[in-house]
Amino acid sequence: MASSATATERRGIPGAQFVEDVETYLTQSGLDVNSALSFLQERLQQYRVVEMKLLAQQRDLQAKIPDIEKCLDVVATLQSKKGTGEALIADFEIAEGIYSRASIDESDLVCLWLGANVMLEYSCEEATALLQKNLENAKASLEVLIADLQFLRDQVTITQVTVARVYNWDVHQRRLRQSTAAVKET
Amino acid sequence: MQQQQAGGSETEVTWGDQQNINQFGRLNNRFHDLEEEIKAAKESNENLEDAGNELILTDEEVVRFQIGEVFAHVPRDEVETRIEEMKELTTKNLERLEQEKVSILSQMAELKKVLYAKFGDSINLEED
Repeated sequence: MASSATATERRGIPGAQFVEDVETYLTQSGLDVNSALSFLQERLQQYRVVEMKLLAQQRDLQAKIPDIEKCLDVVATLQSKKGTGEALIADFEIAEGIYSRASIDESDLVCLWLGANVMLEYSCEEATALLQKNLENAKASLEVLIADLQFLRDQVTITQVTVARVYNWDVHQRRLRQSTAAVKET
Repeated sequence: MQQQQAGGSETEVTWGDQQNINQFGRLNNRFHDLEEEIKAAKESNENLEDAGNELILTDEEVVRFQIGEVFAHVPRDEVETRIEEMKELTTKNLERLEQEKVSILSQMAELKKVLYAKFGDSINLEED
């Protein structure tokens, strides 16, 4: 009897059916060994495609998170300068290897780049709150993504094991047939 | 790449076995990720050490300290404090990662025992 104790699918990733017994699996699905093997191989290919996609998303998120943390750092620095009466002097890059100096006076306002050619002005507190929220969302998305990848890898492992077992069962069957045929001939 | 082949012609693979194999795969992946993270954390620590040493050698009063994408002019003492704080963070992080690595290695050793006991030569759990 073929049963699967895992979720049958997760966010669009089809679950791999765990095979309790190879013979039952083959009779139930009505496939011969080669068709079963090619079906499983196809499944593995599909899994690989999804894995590539998820890994790319993971890389993007993993780049985004330090970016947001850097922004938070800058806003915090600006905030700490408030009330001291000093201007913050910073060197920033205007082209590869070329830096310029800026004197940043005390200000309650920062501009945040939101993407899509949009930049909005916020107070330091609002900016910190927004960046904090974005950071938490990014971290939460990353966690979900990692769980997706784990689920996917489990399905790949199950499928690989099934391939090995179907193949071995087939080899076993051939040996049995050969030995019975040999017995008949004698 | 780790190879997992299971199911000789005699031994049956139960759902429990499959779950063990899956768990081993997960642990192994996490182990490799951890090795990368530990390497990065060690590098970061070294860089902070070097920065701290350079700071002691320099006689400038104002140091350009990178915050985000810009280099802010920060007085030397503040830079020293910041570097110390960052070093503490990275060291704590490194410790946590090393501990996780030890735990994962022992879990993997356990699973290896169980799986080799049942499948023997039919399964390969070693790195290539």
